[in-house]
Amino acid sequence: MADYPQIIALHRSLPSFTPYIPVALLPYIAFLLLGSTFALAFYFSTLPKTTIPAHETMVASLASVLGGFGVVALFCSVGVYV
Amino acid sequence: MKLWPPLAVLCSLLAVDLVWAAHSFENTAIVRTVELGGSLVHVTTTYAIKSLEAGSSRYTIALGRDEHQKTSWLEVRLKGQQAALPFERHGTHLDNEVYLYDVTLPKALATNGTANIVVETVQTHATYPWPQEAAQSEDQALKYESDLFVLSPYETSVQRTKLRSSTPSILSFTQPEEVSFATENPATKSGTTVTYGPYYNIPASASSDFIAAHQQHVTVQYNHGFPVLEVTKLKRAAEVSHWGANLNIQDEIILHNAGPRLKGHFSRLQHQTQSYYNRPAPHVLSWATLLLPAGISNVYYYDLIGNVSTSRLRTAPSPPKGLSQAALNNHFSTLEIRPRYPLMGGWNYSFTLGWDAPLGDSAVWDAKTGKYILGVPVMTLIPGAVVDEAEVKIVLPEGASDIEFFAPFPALSNTLSTHISYLDTTGRPAVTFEYKDLTDKHTGTIYITYKVPFLAHLKKPIAVGMAFFALFSLAMGWRRVDTRIHTKQKL
Repeated sequence: MADYPQIIALHRSLPSFTPYIPVALLPYIAFLLLGSTFALAFYFSTLPKTTIPAHETMVASLASVLGGFGVVALFCSVGVYV
Repeated sequence: MKLWPPLAVLCSLLAVDLVWAAHSFENTAIVRTVELGGSLVHVTTTYAIKSLEAGSSRYTIALGRDEHQKTSWLEVRLKGQQAALPFERHGTHLDNEVYLYDVTLPKALATNGTANIVVETVQTHATYPWPQEAAQSEDQALKYESDLFVLSPYETSVQRTKLRSSTPSILSFTQPEEVSFATENPATKSGTTVTYGPYYNIPASASSDFIAAHQQHVTVQYNHGFPVLEVTKLKRAAEVSHWGANLNIQDEIILHNAGPRLKGHFSRLQHQTQSYYNRPAPHVLSWATLLLPAGISNVYYYDLIGNVSTSRLRTAPSPPKGLSQAALNNHFSTLEIRPRYPLMGGWNYSFTLGWDAPLGDSAVWDAKTGKYILGVPVMTLIPGAVVDEAEVKIVLPEGASDIEFFAPFPALSNTLSTHISYLDTTGRPAVTFEYKDLTDKHTGTIYITYKVPFLAHLKKPIAVGMAFFALFSLAMGWRRVDTRIHTKQKL
């Protein structure tokens, strides 16, 4: 396995870490995603009650996924780097 | 024993030879220079050696028991060269009075071949205040004790020890008695330096017989112009975030002024007068300048009471990639901190200092192995301070696996644990390193390699999404339940 001088050389030569999503965009992404989650939640509340809640489940799933990413982006935007 | 066991980085990969196989040498001259300081004392010993046998490549250096006890860092090199020579603990320690280390020379010496070996050590807790109490406006004096002779398993033609103080006032020094190896005055003082020697024709001294017959303790008392600082406990936590591309480093520091205890009460008036006339007392700490990494932001400095606003920060932008180490060393942010109250002798102050830095400055991605390599400095140097106990905890992202670490010097212990933080489900792996007696030479970087698969990155959004979905499911059920109170009820 590599020893200490080798790791130093490796660390200096490899490319820097880059995130999947640029950090500067995170506040805007958070706004869009959480805004969509809010809108979908409102739409969810207007849906008719059916025996098999297929439509409701779909809307809820989409809102949850957008909300999940939106909350993570929100946390990072305000300085709580999760 | 405080000396770092030289088995990890500085050690050679030779098998330990337990049989005494040291080649014969002769010391033509030994010069030991001691730079007297506060909590740290730097000792440089230069051995001018001559080989008595052909093919000699292992030279043994000896440290006395007290010296070994105080030494926290040891490096051996040839004079004029940068590369450190590998050394290892010798197989035998004679009666616990002498500690022997074998140094491997880069090239074996022929008969009568010469070389100059420089041994640099840093001693901690080697000085103590004397007098033990000082009033607010008085000077501070420290005492340093040392052994008179530099021990060596070989014969020495001439040796001398020079103790150099930081200020010109040396208050007293021991005059050794009946030194049979001295031809002139055994101790002389000139300016800031006290010289013990030269002493001629000393036989092999790395034995308890020699120590019992000839070794003496010498003490030097000198004025020291800076506060003697000790970090009693340092807790460093480095947290990595891949989503935020951020490395947060937080230091919890307990600072102790190990100078002479304050005699009498603290007088704010006297303190203000001293600062006004710019004549601060040498044992009082008002300001300290710390060099933090370049590219940092969101720096916070608070203590038990709350935020401490008495600080000045000048940040530097992140250094570009591909700079040499020397250029990187010149890129730093400066933070001047002032504790909430001036630190008098014997006083403590605890505070928390932290900052955020872009993860790209410290971490790299190795596409070949699919691993990230992260570099975290062991500590931020507080000038002239010794760190008694340090704990460095590096928290990796959730789902990190295949964790390996490379430390610049061995730790007392390494532990792997789980750290739970915001939006965590399974917790984040954390590697903790424990250290003791760190000096200004222990400012290395710990490198950690780890893998985080793509799905592991999605743990957090999925966890939050599931929480949202649970709320929606609750709502779906709630809508279908009639919770009204019926007034017309048939009994």
